[in-house]
Amino acid sequence: MSKSGEAERKVRVYIMGQECEVPFGLTIMKAMEYAGYKLIRGAGCRGGFCGACATVYRMEGDYKLRVALACQKIVEDGMYLTQIPFTPANKPAYDVEKLAPSVNVFLEYYPEIAKCVSCNTCTKACPQDLEVMDYIQAALRGDFEEVAQLSFDCITCGLCAMRCPTEIVPYNVALLARRLYGKYVMPRAKHVDERIKEIEEGKFDEETKNLMDASLDVLKELYTKREIEK
Amino acid sequence: MMKIPYFPGCAMKTTARNCEISGTLVASRLGIEMVELPRWNCCGVFPSLANDDLMRHVAPIRNLIRVQEMNENGTVKDENRLVTFCSMCYHTLKEANLFVKDGEKLTKINTFMDREKEYRGGVRVLSFLQLLKEVGYEKISEEVKKPLRGLKVAPYYGCLLLRPREIAVDDPENPTILEELLETLGADVVDNPCKVQCCGSYHTVDRKSLVAKLTYDNLTYIIRNGAEAVATCCPLCTFNLDSRQKEAKALYRDLREIPIVYYTQLMAIAFGLEEKFYGLDLDLHYIDPKPLLEAKNLC
Amino acid sequence: MSRIKLIRGYPEGMRESIELVEKTREERLKHPYKETFDFLTLEEREEVLQNHHPDYKREMKRALKIGPNKGDLVPHEVADILEAHSPVNPKDIDLTDIDYESDILIIGSGGAGLAAALWANYSGTKAEDILIVTKLRFGDSNSKMSQAGIQAADRRQDSPMLHYLDIMGAGHFVNDPELVKTFVMEAPFIIRWHEELGVMYDKEPDGTMVEDLIGGLSRLRVHCCRDYTGLEIMRNVIDEVQNLDISVLEFSPAIELITDEHGQAAGAILWNMETEEYYIARAKSTILTTGGFGRLHIQKFPTTNHYGSTGDGLILAYRAGAKLRDMDSVQYHPTGAAYPEAIVGLLCTAKLRGRGAQPVNRFGQVFVNPFEPRDVESAVFIEECYGKSKGVETSTGMRGVWLDTPMIDILNGEGTTEKAFPAMLRQFNRQGVDMRKDPILVFPTLHFQNGGVVINVMAETTVPGLFAAGEVTGGLHGKNRLVGNSWMELQVFGRRAGIYAAERAKEAKLGKLTLNHLVKYEEMLKEAGMETERKSPVLLPEYRGERAISHALDIF
Repeated sequence: MSKSGEAERKVRVYIMGQECEVPFGLTIMKAMEYAGYKLIRGAGCRGGFCGACATVYRMEGDYKLRVALACQKIVEDGMYLTQIPFTPANKPAYDVEKLAPSVNVFLEYYPEIAKCVSCNTCTKACPQDLEVMDYIQAALRGDFEEVAQLSFDCITCGLCAMRCPTEIVPYNVALLARRLYGKYVMPRAKHVDERIKEIEEGKFDEETKNLMDASLDVLKELYTKREIEK
Repeated sequence: MMKIPYFPGCAMKTTARNCEISGTLVASRLGIEMVELPRWNCCGVFPSLANDDLMRHVAPIRNLIRVQEMNENGTVKDENRLVTFCSMCYHTLKEANLFVKDGEKLTKINTFMDREKEYRGGVRVLSFLQLLKEVGYEKISEEVKKPLRGLKVAPYYGCLLLRPREIAVDDPENPTILEELLETLGADVVDNPCKVQCCGSYHTVDRKSLVAKLTYDNLTYIIRNGAEAVATCCPLCTFNLDSRQKEAKALYRDLREIPIVYYTQLMAIAFGLEEKFYGLDLDLHYIDPKPLLEAKNLC
Repeated sequence: MSRIKLIRGYPEGMRESIELVEKTREERLKHPYKETFDFLTLEEREEVLQNHHPDYKREMKRALKIGPNKGDLVPHEVADILEAHSPVNPKDIDLTDIDYESDILIIGSGGAGLAAALWANYSGTKAEDILIVTKLRFGDSNSKMSQAGIQAADRRQDSPMLHYLDIMGAGHFVNDPELVKTFVMEAPFIIRWHEELGVMYDKEPDGTMVEDLIGGLSRLRVHCCRDYTGLEIMRNVIDEVQNLDISVLEFSPAIELITDEHGQAAGAILWNMETEEYYIARAKSTILTTGGFGRLHIQKFPTTNHYGSTGDGLILAYRAGAKLRDMDSVQYHPTGAAYPEAIVGLLCTAKLRGRGAQPVNRFGQVFVNPFEPRDVESAVFIEECYGKSKGVETSTGMRGVWLDTPMIDILNGEGTTEKAFPAMLRQFNRQGVDMRKDPILVFPTLHFQNGGVVINVMAETTVPGLFAAGEVTGGLHGKNRLVGNSWMELQVFGRRAGIYAAERAKEAKLGKLTLNHLVKYEEMLKEAGMETERKSPVLLPEYRGERAISHALDIF
């Protein structure tokens, strides 16, 4: 594979303080592996969905704390980084069958959300750019829909919980909200229930048996002739 | 229709929905559209109990920034004010506003908020009572279709609208703004010597018996003076005077029950609005006001 | 050293091609979706597959020399792990020192493993008698990354029979009919179970499920949660497992199964990745839900799979004597990202085509119907890039075709991409590309293990006491899986594995634990004259830099 002159460029990064020179264009994760790290914690789906690789870093000379997903972020010169291997978080056990979607549910399982000082640190710590503070505020006033919509893309990386000065674990609050929203507030799909009833009554048994017993040629013909929905 | 930024606060969406539902429709009858702040957060009244002076002002200041944004993006025109029903929200927002009149403190808060927009100062915080006074009692009386004749109401202000002096909506010792409104509605206003007495506030959480005593004391005077109902302004006062009648009655057997209603609900009744806007069917009243109102042919 | 100038994420050379794509767009919008291009006939499908699909390259495979599937053709990379030494020397293992005793041992915590745990519990097995072991973080799996959705025939215009036909046709008609029938009949029930859990499926205001038509299907049948379907379902299921307090052991993969003197599966040897010690986990029923094999990088393809997808379950089961099937069939997802290099191989959901994005070549011309089944679609893409040389070539030598994603908003209204594809939008925005304004470059990527361990409708393998469910199993999909069926496979058979494993655990009696199957296996290797240093399971792919590997010292 031919590479352009671009590939000869090197980038200087600091992995947990250790200076490393890595080729240009690598993600933080690939840069760490290039430098010799065999990742056990800190790598998961490698595609931006699981939150295992949440990385905290500063740029040389700058005090601002930044966040990124190691599997998606390309390294930059002067990046000074680390990863959080695990987030200790309180997750109480509950039974969604026995709960009702009311603001009291949040205050019962996560009373600490009343301590929210609206400082917005959680929002700034989110690598998915979610409005974390806004959804905690929505939880405080029992607006389940708002919590569900704002928190939907959460990958539970844990950074918001690590940064919150009043020790809230936002992603667990959001999880409870979404489950209750999906279960009690969203309307049920009646057609699913109807179909299940039909199956239980055996409506499709005979036709399915015919299909299973059909010869290969018959099957192929049925397949080719089947009409595709618009 | 005049458009003014409206800050609801947490109670208005939960335990004080009856206040919001009556108040916002009453406002629109008076030609005021209460435009809810987009992305508002809790006014910060709980953290204001903390001693850390800087952090506790971030929450209310952020809401004032929203008002700035509403003016910048044209949601409202030249309306650098915010109105709220809840006394606690009014108090917290106004106090924060005063806090940052000091330029150094304003800079500190803006710097803390970092990548968010800056608060430039200058937003004015109003209680709905003040806005009504501005509209004028004459205009209000024009909307009164069903005067509250024969309804003996005691006004109850509580503390947060009136103390400290710098943020008070009226004279802290002897305010009259609520009485003026109730008179305009045609009610028989009963003098209430306890009208600026504290309801017990947050002690409803950790010292229920203290609140029960205050409720007993406040209501006993009110009833002795002939009142049949109490008009309140604040969701916490309302909770203490209404729901805590249960604990008060358990401790003081001779307490007679008396319904507690928001002044906005009385306005909705007096304006002759549809009954669903009175906020009486939301299961938020401990002592049901309906029997009394029905007896007075008001609903 | 010149810096390549990027214009909205793409270098000049690729920009020129994009301009051609923009030129042809107006005309192409007149024939969107199914009308893009003619469907291939069954014969034409066969031809393009034979000529261009990676599975049909005979030299990339070899016949297995040992084990229950001796003589079967499998890719070299798979044969490499099936014909390798155990990492364990039975002499080093004390089988009498039991660390974990459970009714049910579940190996893997993806959608299948978690469904098994929950349904085992619902069937009566107590939470403390279930043990889930995972190689990486709890919940880490391919399941979490799934985007497009999950199939179930629950609409009026649809029926389980049509679902059955679609599956058979896509699978080249060699699927196990019993598995397929059970699958299509139980799918709607799983959807309802998800609703009960609180999964936020995309729905119309009246509650009707929003369902998509994607390649190979005859009906709109793919339920989704925007394009985070896998993540959303997993979040709910993971929460349930935690609420029930079912035990989980993280970073402790199973490195070998344990059998007993009667040849039953009796648990597994676990290995703590961090402390490097082993544990003996004895269990009355063992459920294998170890997922796929993407990180074996078959034919050096990049993959959509998660870090731990190294086919561990295959070799564990094989050594215990379980039969496999259809291991010669590897699924390549036609639209893996091909640019920029940082995200090469990552999934670009098939739903993009479902919502109107057309694949076009370097000149902006259409060359295939976007709704062909995956293997056909992949083969045609490869043909376009290598057979006809009409693909786009990037600076790293990677080739691909355009997926014209701006068509999505044009056909469905502004804001559709944002609403339906937040994950995709994010993925490309992070790399400086706005997929609403520019097309994205795609090329087939290694995606799914079509075959695997043989199971019956009770999720039993050919080894008594060993159950399996999910991607590690074979038979349901035949030679090629349909979009959205893998998630349903996880749930239908994960559930069955849990239920039947629980039932078995009530009666099962374990004999003396042994590792005789490993000794036998080693003998098989010797007899077949295999000289190799290879060990399997591999556990994690080797991605470390050259310098680190060449200077490695094992001194502790």
